[in-house]
Amino acid sequence: MDIASFLQYIATGTAYTIGVTLIALPTGLLLGTLLALLNVYSGRAVKWLTSFYSTAMRGIPPIVLLFILYFIVSGGINLSPFWAGSISLGIVSSAYQMEIVRGAILSVSGGQMMAARAVGMSKNQAIRNVILPQTLRLAIPPWSNEAAIVIKDSSLVYALGVPEILRRAQLISASTQQPFLAYAAAAAIYFVLVFITNRFLDRLERRLRIPANP
Amino acid sequence: MKRLILLVVVLALMITAVGCTSSGDHLAAIKEAGKVVVGTSADYPPFEFVDEAGVTTGFDVELMNEIGKRMGVTIEWVDMPFDSLIAAVQEGKIDMSIAAFNYDEERDKTVDFTDAYYTTEDSFIVLEGFASDLSDPMELANYTVGAQSGTVQDSWITDNLVTPGLLPETKYLRYERVDQAALDLQAGRIEVLMADYVPAQAIVSQFGGMTIVFHGVLSTGPLNIVIPEGDKDLQEEINRILKELQADGFVDALAMKYFAE
Repeated sequence: MDIASFLQYIATGTAYTIGVTLIALPTGLLLGTLLALLNVYSGRAVKWLTSFYSTAMRGIPPIVLLFILYFIVSGGINLSPFWAGSISLGIVSSAYQMEIVRGAILSVSGGQMMAARAVGMSKNQAIRNVILPQTLRLAIPPWSNEAAIVIKDSSLVYALGVPEILRRAQLISASTQQPFLAYAAAAAIYFVLVFITNRFLDRLERRLRIPANP
Repeated sequence: MKRLILLVVVLALMITAVGCTSSGDHLAAIKEAGKVVVGTSADYPPFEFVDEAGVTTGFDVELMNEIGKRMGVTIEWVDMPFDSLIAAVQEGKIDMSIAAFNYDEERDKTVDFTDAYYTTEDSFIVLEGFASDLSDPMELANYTVGAQSGTVQDSWITDNLVTPGLLPETKYLRYERVDQAALDLQAGRIEVLMADYVPAQAIVSQFGGMTIVFHGVLSTGPLNIVIPEGDKDLQEEINRILKELQADGFVDALAMKYFAE
């Protein structure tokens, strides 16, 4: 196999890697934000439950959760490995994103909530119009870390049979007996993906920054 | 909120119920769908691997495609790591799996096996008049040995002779093709050539002056297709087709193609 078709075969897996990330990241953000809001603004029982979820999910290796979710939860529902893997990764990421958003909520001073309530907003209105817009901006820098982690963790879905970059590198390594070249190509593609994503999020953060906030 | 939760639970149960099919009509379901989902791990040449065009091929893959043809269904290939395959058959994620599996009592508890579709028999080819009959395979360590790289014979020599330090690396030559190795045997560069028994017989008749002193199961043994536990209909159907394929020479032709060239 010549080098060009060899690299092209591995690069074709990039579409799967991007696809998995584009499903997992928003799933995790949506779930994570909801969980963070519940954790900060709910009663004791919900607070305890959401904290437990976060601790448990972050205490299990992503690959283990991936197998549990794929083989047990989707045992009866016929989800394709691609969707099952992407959603599972999103669920894994939701615990980390919950902590990111929770930290950002807590860093908005408590006085703002009181002020919003004082001018007649309901609690929900205050969260939507005052707290969340600031929270999500503050969360971008730590969130870009999580985005990089999800891109890299997307390599785990190879275990379910999704032909993404890592799996393709393995197959090429087996058929050409050139493991170094195959894995180096995979590493280069992951690096470029993470680099571009982080640059984009840096720029987004600068653009959206509220001037008064340091 | 309570009603919402109840709704979600009911929906989940319904989907789960629909997803389960009893194994009795598995074969009928496959034939009706016109396709069978087969799992493999395309990192084990020459049984299953990715070729220059990025297409999954190999001995197992071509064999399974022919089985599909004779069943009247198309094969949908799913590639996954070798250690996920048994679980995937068990969970019904794939209909069956072909990946150079050996029958194994532990595995038999959770899945079933078809009859063997091929038995890898290994053989030692030497020049006529060779001093030993090599009835003890470990005796190979005393000679200069050749094999085709990436084959099960290559793995056997590496694991049993080279890695334990019995056969020095300098006395073991790996060849890209088995006929190159045969030429070197003829020229006296190697003393023993280890190869699959099917191509070995062809080499001996083609080259002359050579003989097979030993053949038997050393490396992998009989290979079976993995099917879901208790799936009798599917098992019978595949066993029937396998007998046909062995009788009409399809399997031997495939062995020549993949284990010799």
